[in-house]
Amino acid sequence: MNNDAILVMENIHKSFDDLEVLKGIDLTVNRGEVVAVIGPSGGGKSTLLRCATTLEKIDSGRIVIAGDTLCEMDGEKLKYADKARLRHIRSRFGLVFQNFNLFPHFSVRRNITESLIHVLGKTKDEANGICDDLLLKMGLQDKADSYPCNLSGGQQQRVSIARALAANPDIIFFDEPTSALDPELTKGVLEVIRDLASEHMTMVIVTHEMTFARDVADRIVFMDGGVIVEEGPAYDLVTNPKSQRTKEFLAGY
Amino acid sequence: MTKELLISSCQQLLSGFEFTLGIFAFTLIFSLPLGLLVARGRMSKNIVVASLVRFYISVMRGTPLMLQLLLVYYGPYYLFGTSTGGIKIGPFNYRFIAAIIGFSLNYAAYFAEIFRGGIQSMPKGQYEAAQVLGFTKSQTYFKIILPQVIKRVLPSVANEVITLVKDTSLAQVLSVSEMFFIASSLASKQVSIMPFLVAGLFYYIMNALIEMMITKIEKKMSYYS
Ligand SMILES: Nc1ncnc2c1ncn2[C@@H]1O[C@H](COP(=O)(O)OP(=O)(O)O)[C@@H](O)[C@H]1O
Ligand SMILES: [Mg+2]
Repeated sequence: MNNDAILVMENIHKSFDDLEVLKGIDLTVNRGEVVAVIGPSGGGKSTLLRCATTLEKIDSGRIVIAGDTLCEMDGEKLKYADKARLRHIRSRFGLVFQNFNLFPHFSVRRNITESLIHVLGKTKDEANGICDDLLLKMGLQDKADSYPCNLSGGQQQRVSIARALAANPDIIFFDEPTSALDPELTKGVLEVIRDLASEHMTMVIVTHEMTFARDVADRIVFMDGGVIVEEGPAYDLVTNPKSQRTKEFLAGY
Repeated sequence: MTKELLISSCQQLLSGFEFTLGIFAFTLIFSLPLGLLVARGRMSKNIVVASLVRFYISVMRGTPLMLQLLLVYYGPYYLFGTSTGGIKIGPFNYRFIAAIIGFSLNYAAYFAEIFRGGIQSMPKGQYEAAQVLGFTKSQTYFKIILPQVIKRVLPSVANEVITLVKDTSLAQVLSVSEMFFIASSLASKQVSIMPFLVAGLFYYIMNALIEMMITKIEKKMSYYS
């Protein structure tokens, strides 16, 4: 195994009842790499992220995050890490949802600091320091005491990115971070992600923003029908796709 | 009706009001947490538990509360031949205790359905966000879910609380000397409906105060939507 691999997913299979949604996915993401996942709706992109982030259990395969094995095959049987290890693994990645999923009854500050204090055991002062730094980075330094309902969608998504970054994770997953936003609000969010990319944050981003994917990602993965149809350096894949399905998909943009 | 009679009637009604308040307060103290527990049982993945709880709720909601009070009161005697006359907890005799048990079991069923509705109305994303942040199940429940559920169910819970104030008068079937029971005996002694009207006024004042409190709490929780 490549020592620099932050995410390793091997031969991932996942079905919902009779519907096979992931049909043997292999994906490795190295430290500092930005991978964009594109593809038509229903292709299994969200499911892939949800499997990597423990929100869904896979049927078979192997997942390693930041050197910790989330699950692997033990003969015929799939074995998941125990509770304590799962908790540790969860602190090693962040997930940004399409619809933010901020905690509406918490202030912005508490959204960001709550898990730092009550999961990672940081002191209030430490947590507040981390929170202030992140809000500054997100251009939200004056919003610490606001509640999510008083923020625009773009601001809410930036808070949720700050929340995902708070534990200083090794990798962040984004599931269509701008799809729930009005077009004029996507810019701020994409800029924040772009900044993270320039700081070499390891990221996996499911997105429909092709220009953004081409410019910001190192690598693009095109998924359709539960398989990775094609992957390659971002610029090459967008400008010179090899597979017919990729060509047809990109022609829509 | 003389002034003295009115004053002494009011005094007697107020002493009955202490029992009314007692039934009210104890019922809430027991039935709210019990309702939460029942709601969890109702949503249990264990089919046996879920069905039993479902049956319990349907009986509580589908039969008269007055009958339930009578069953709690007379049940021990008919089932086990136990005499309940001597049972006392502090200043409370078994009549009062039976009323509290009956009311609590009944209201827990109603609260449970309200809580279940509130819990099930929570978006899945709240659990998922909490999970990936590493919160334990109980942290998620108490920090993230429950506070939001409380805000969501407050109007329905308030309805039940106001109904409970009036329902306390059902305890008269157990001869608990709550306010309505006193009003009945005064009315028959005085051959007048005046005591009932005064009692009615007391119920009304109590509920007006409760409504004020609820409005205050709602305001306090309106900082987010
Ligand atoms: N919880 C679920 N239960 C059943 N089917 C699901 C579930 N989640 C996703 N699916 C199905 O899996 C397929 C892939 O969905 P998804 O991963 O959301 O695709 P994408 O994110 O690429 O649009 C779709 O057909 C979808 O209906
Ligand atoms: Mg999706």
